[in-house]
Amino acid sequence: MEEGRMVGKAARIKRLILTIVGIIIAAYVLFPFYLVVLNSFKAQTSIVASPINWAGASFAQLKTNLSAVVNNSTFNFWYAFGTSLIITVVSLVLLALFGAMAAWVISRNNKKKWSTVIYMIFIASMIIPFQVVMLPLISTFRDVGKFIGISMLQSIPGIVFAYCGFGGAMTVFILTGFIKGIPYDLEEAAAIDGCSPEGTFFRIIFPLLKPVITTVTILNGMWIWNDYLLPSLMLGQNGRVKTLPVAVQAFVGSYVKQWDLILTAALLAIIPMIIIFLFAQRQIMNGMIEGAVKG
Amino acid sequence: MKKKVLALIMAGTMIFGLAACGEAAAPVADAGAAPADDAAPAGDASGEAAAPAASSGEGIRLVNGKIEVDAMLKEAAEKYTQETGVVVTIESMGGGVNIQDTLKGYYQADNMPDIFVCGSDADFDNWKGMLVDMSGEAWASDTDAAYKNDGGTVGFPYTTEAIGLAYNADILEKAGVDPKSITGPDAMKKAFETLDSKKDELGLTAVIGWCTEPKDLYWSTGSHSFANYIDSGLARDDTKYADMLADGGKIDETRFEHYAEMIGLFNQYSDPALLTSGTYDQQILGFASGKYAFVTQGSWIGATMTSDDADAYKEAGNFKCGMAPYAFEDGIDTILTNSPSWWAVFDNDNKADSLAFLQWLAGEEGQEILVKKAGFISPFKSCTFIADDPFAETISEYTAAGKTSSWHWLKNKSGLDQNALGQLYADYALGSIPDAKAFTSTVAQVLQQYYAE
Amino acid sequence: MKTNTAGQKMCSLILLAAGIILLVGALIMDFSGSQSTLRGPMLVIGAVSFFVGLYFFPTLKHHRQIVYVIFLFPLLFTFAVTVIIPLLLGICYSFTDWTGIKFTQVVGFANYIAMFKDPAFIWSILITFIFVVMNMILVNVTAFLLALLCTSGLPGVGFFRASYFLPNLIGGIVLGYIWQFVFSNVLINITKISWLVQTKTALAAIVVVYIWQYAGYIMLIYVTGLTQIPGDVLEAAKIDGANARQTLFEVKIPMLASTFTICTFLTLTSAFKQFDVNMALTNGTGSVPNFMGNYLSNGTQMLALNIYNTAIAKNSYALGQAKAVLFFIILACVSLVQVRISNKREVEL
Repeated sequence: MEEGRMVGKAARIKRLILTIVGIIIAAYVLFPFYLVVLNSFKAQTSIVASPINWAGASFAQLKTNLSAVVNNSTFNFWYAFGTSLIITVVSLVLLALFGAMAAWVISRNNKKKWSTVIYMIFIASMIIPFQVVMLPLISTFRDVGKFIGISMLQSIPGIVFAYCGFGGAMTVFILTGFIKGIPYDLEEAAAIDGCSPEGTFFRIIFPLLKPVITTVTILNGMWIWNDYLLPSLMLGQNGRVKTLPVAVQAFVGSYVKQWDLILTAALLAIIPMIIIFLFAQRQIMNGMIEGAVKG
Repeated sequence: MKKKVLALIMAGTMIFGLAACGEAAAPVADAGAAPADDAAPAGDASGEAAAPAASSGEGIRLVNGKIEVDAMLKEAAEKYTQETGVVVTIESMGGGVNIQDTLKGYYQADNMPDIFVCGSDADFDNWKGMLVDMSGEAWASDTDAAYKNDGGTVGFPYTTEAIGLAYNADILEKAGVDPKSITGPDAMKKAFETLDSKKDELGLTAVIGWCTEPKDLYWSTGSHSFANYIDSGLARDDTKYADMLADGGKIDETRFEHYAEMIGLFNQYSDPALLTSGTYDQQILGFASGKYAFVTQGSWIGATMTSDDADAYKEAGNFKCGMAPYAFEDGIDTILTNSPSWWAVFDNDNKADSLAFLQWLAGEEGQEILVKKAGFISPFKSCTFIADDPFAETISEYTAAGKTSSWHWLKNKSGLDQNALGQLYADYALGSIPDAKAFTSTVAQVLQQYYAE
Repeated sequence: MKTNTAGQKMCSLILLAAGIILLVGALIMDFSGSQSTLRGPMLVIGAVSFFVGLYFFPTLKHHRQIVYVIFLFPLLFTFAVTVIIPLLLGICYSFTDWTGIKFTQVVGFANYIAMFKDPAFIWSILITFIFVVMNMILVNVTAFLLALLCTSGLPGVGFFRASYFLPNLIGGIVLGYIWQFVFSNVLINITKISWLVQTKTALAAIVVVYIWQYAGYIMLIYVTGLTQIPGDVLEAAKIDGANARQTLFEVKIPMLASTFTICTFLTLTSAFKQFDVNMALTNGTGSVPNFMGNYLSNGTQMLALNIYNTAIAKNSYALGQAKAVLFFIILACVSLVQVRISNKREVEL
């Protein structure tokens, strides 16, 4: 009895120490976020003078900074935000739809050679780093755009097209793995009932894919929303169409180093992600895990 | 069957390859509409219910390389739009952005601005055959500062700038240091020592605001400061050291070592918080608030001091400013003045609008904004405005006395400041290059290497 | 299946014909260099109507095949245009004097030889490898320790997990600037000289930021692995009298072998591709006084950034492309090794 209490006490102390360690690490991890929030409330002079305490912070200054950033013609927050949102959402919808369609065809023909070949090409392409295709990609898109008369660079459709291409392999890979696990009997039964193949897909298979489509959407969404290199190359570093990361880069470049505005801009760029995370924490974390384990 | 399907897919991919390119671009109409919707509030934000441009739909776009005057240029553009209905978009770049590279990217992406900044022979050579010859424009006969090459008059001069050792006249006076006495290295050293000994009493953080941060401020060291080695004390058309440099990256080691000793002095007396990792804003703010007696930027900082830093400058008493020569050798008595860069007009469908805008800028109304608001020192003879700028007076004094040299970093090999010199200055400040002698030999070696590539 | 009425057949044929006519018309306009703005929409409408026509094509026998083609086409097509064609072109371009727009001659291996003669590039390869190895070890160790912490049944574990993961949500560019502020304006009060200024400390700074960003994500995978260890195995270990350390080293870690493989390669490939943070944090600056007899000013420039700068900033597209091909080969080798190891392990199990 006495011994048990001793063990309990030691364990409690251990737990306490571990909790403190956990809190310290969390503080370290969250510290930069704290600095961003804090210094968005301050003017340049007080940021330089005292970057880590609340001296000089005020809501009025936050308002000044926010309006300076939002109305800045280089940053143009709402426009960049809208562009990023359109690109991300449209790409995600198309990727989910086209990906599921392609994955279904591939997995339902997995005994056939052509299907295996396509699948293997998709898998193999996942090791291709963006750097090796980025330069020819731009010139190809430029030529194609000139040829068909629809601009592929400097345009939202062009970049959505590119994201469908780059996201395709991973999407198909994850979805195919899932569809393979759906019993074929289900589709056969539907076919006997007179359902067309496309009807079978949209009415029976597609609804079953909901969890795995959530996963790919999270993975693709995090990538597309945060991506800098592809949009900076396709849209130009400071072109007419700007996504949020490109706008941040253009803004920092043009405003030498006005930390008050840069940190406010960073805050604006971070907030949407954090809000989504707060609402869909479990889905995002699970999606990331599944993506990693499968990829 | 299998073969048939395969063939079908192959055929499908081949034939409709291009077709579906269009397919993906199908939402082009929507997308086209979306930015247009969004563009409207953007127009409002700039205070302009953008009347549809009369001549060429989109209006014109100017890429400006002087971020300090972004707001003033936008003001001028707005006024111009009000008068003529032609929308002028100002896109300002600065800091770590390599403008020419960005422009090349724009060119690749079919997104060329109509007017853009060019600062060197190499810059203009990038666009050979693509620029409008402006020799027929009215302003061209009103200035000596236009940029000309075998393509004609291709650069519009918009300001005159000066590089000298900028000082806070009030502080120097309080410390009993006569700026006129700085005529050589010993006098400069003495002035620095005097100021340093009275730092507390004068409220100084450091004697000089000198910054060698290499990522974003390489141009300040690698082009502007280095220009003093090349040009200080020389006649305006003397390109002795610039030619030496162009010839395989050679330097005059004796002269350079003297210059290096002065840089060593700056390293010693600069604010350590600024020296290796500071920013331009921090540097100017420090000077404007009276924390540094000297600062190593050129006359353009006047615009920053009277706009962004106006509050701090006011608090420090709106002190008088002046410039001393960078007298790293006895007898150097000039400051450097020149047109820092020019605006070139890209030969495209909008060129008539672009030329009209530049002509307007050179005229009465344009000059009023550029000189009085942006603090530009007009390169146009007919201009009667005098800049309300802390450095305007000192520049005109030197000009009147004929004590100015030109600068020639335009002749430097492209990227010299960013890819080589900027880092060396930082190394010297950090102490990884220990002294003037080592700095000289390293610079000599690196330059040779850089020019050999 | 729907009945094949004559009406449907007509519809289908008309659509197919219209589609082909529009497509051919648009292509003729393209090839003849017409600048008409109609040609784009024509092409799009043509393609769409062709596919709709194909879909309604009245055949019972081949309907399934047609659906398969239509289903596969969009993704395959975008994939081919954005990945496969540029990849093949890129490999070809690396053997030419390509300028990003055109090339005039094939230069063989000249680009490859030039890049290996460039000390700055060798340096980039070198530090990239060092960076990758350091990250692989440090990220995994940190992440594993964090995972142990997060599975130890403490109160507030959910909060810890979420906050450790948080940095992973933020894009590299924004992160880079935030940390630049931290190093140059906040930590400078302790370090006196900003870490970002000197090559060695700047590299360390990049590693720190990278761990900060990535360890939370890897931790999640370890947490999953740890929670998947069957309870009875741990129970059995406890009954056998194993202490915490023994359980960790003799039960948990061996059972997590495949998780370790996954995480190792995940960190490896992503560290290799590191670009955004590198660009925003130092943009490759930093000096190397003497490397192969040369002074270098790209002390912290990793491979991906070096490729980007070579092509975009220095305008040497062909050279940049050749470097990119090498980059591809390195990554392909890494991936092959990974596949081999994973397969071997699966066989062993």
